[in-house]
Amino acid sequence: MTFQALFTLTDLRVILRETTPRHELDEKQREQAQRLLDNLERQVSSLKQEMLK
Amino acid sequence: MRCASGIEARQVDELAINIDPIQAGGRLTGDAMKAVIAYGDGYSVCDNCRKPNRLDYINKPPIAEFHKDVAGWLNMDAVRTVPGARRGFQAVAHTFIRKGDPVLLTSLSHYTEFLAIEGAEGIACEIPADDHHIITPDAAAVKIEEVKKQSGRAPVLAFIDHVDYQYGNMHDVKGIAKVCHQYDIPVLYNGAYTVGIMPVNGKDLGVDFVIGSGHKSMASPAPSGILATTTEYAAEVFRTTAITGDVTHRKFGIKEPEMMGCTLMGVTLIGMMASFPHVKERVKHFDRELENNRIVVDGLLAVERTKILSEMPRKHTLTRADTIGSFDRVAETHKKRGFYFSSALEEKGVTGVIPGATKVWKFNTYGMTQKQARYLADTFGEIAQENGLTASK
Repeated sequence: MTFQALFTLTDLRVILRETTPRHELDEKQREQAQRLLDNLERQVSSLKQEMLK
Repeated sequence: MRCASGIEARQVDELAINIDPIQAGGRLTGDAMKAVIAYGDGYSVCDNCRKPNRLDYINKPPIAEFHKDVAGWLNMDAVRTVPGARRGFQAVAHTFIRKGDPVLLTSLSHYTEFLAIEGAEGIACEIPADDHHIITPDAAAVKIEEVKKQSGRAPVLAFIDHVDYQYGNMHDVKGIAKVCHQYDIPVLYNGAYTVGIMPVNGKDLGVDFVIGSGHKSMASPAPSGILATTTEYAAEVFRTTAITGDVTHRKFGIKEPEMMGCTLMGVTLIGMMASFPHVKERVKHFDRELENNRIVVDGLLAVERTKILSEMPRKHTLTRADTIGSFDRVAETHKKRGFYFSSALEEKGVTGVIPGATKVWKFNTYGMTQKQARYLADTFGEIAQENGLTASK
């Protein structure tokens, strides 16, 4: 799960690179970012459960 | 934010459009970034190294397959990964050049080609570029004849850059290789700015070695690169060790002296491998990169008295600009002197121009989106107008 979260963050990093310097996301990029951030929340939540049980 | 004590997290490409001439093609793909995270430990690709113990035989991760794929992709017979194109030059030079041998290169050759020749104690013989900064087959023929007359023999090897680092101009490697082969001179194709950027077909070009740079043009970590060759020359440059210890009588199997055994044993190789599917795809769309370059070049040329010193129309995204008549004129009276230009660019989210440079400078538009290309073109115009220069729309 650690890797999954890191990889999701990496995908977000790629969006930042593609939209630099203004970081104005088009509709498709916003949808992608939203999906990635949702995934990240789930992944962090799973990590909490696994590591702090 | 720091990654470690004294080491700032690098966010150059997240915060700005980076037009550094040597950095554009080496920016990692997302997959390479992920692979780097997972394979950062030292000998990370060696978990499943089995006999015969050599990097290019490892199947998990699929390194052996990667080597075959790269060879096929370049239409060459054998490939090894190397720590940068320069180490590929060195391996070929060390194999084929003996003390005092004349070696052909060009007046636009990269310094590492000179160093490779020097390391092998050869003599550098430069084919001069023409007035348009182009190396031609005719000039190669003239130079070879000149070398023959002076030293009594033809050069033993030719280093030819397909796209040179100074102007980003494209040279007729195929024609030059044809001339060299008439004199039995093997040809090393320096693809530091082409392999991973645009399609390269070694056999079609008629060259004997193809060298690429991972960190310059294959979206890979440094130092990385590839050395590809034909079956004929593989036997020489990739010869296996023959040495034996006089006390232990040890031998070293199929290790290759020119490669110093194994080459890229961790994060560099895995980064190249992770980017490779994307690299194979992106070379098919080089026309889009040239279109983005055209947008930026047009934006620059819209600024009064600005010139492009590279060949036009552009055949590559690495471009040399002359702004002596424009941005440099502003520098003469600006309180920041020449630093105003890079400073203004940074303020607008553009990086990669050498601070202080306002006369002749290079940039590379490779890998940017069309939106970024338009932004960059507009930015040059804005900086011009803000400083009293005319920039046509």
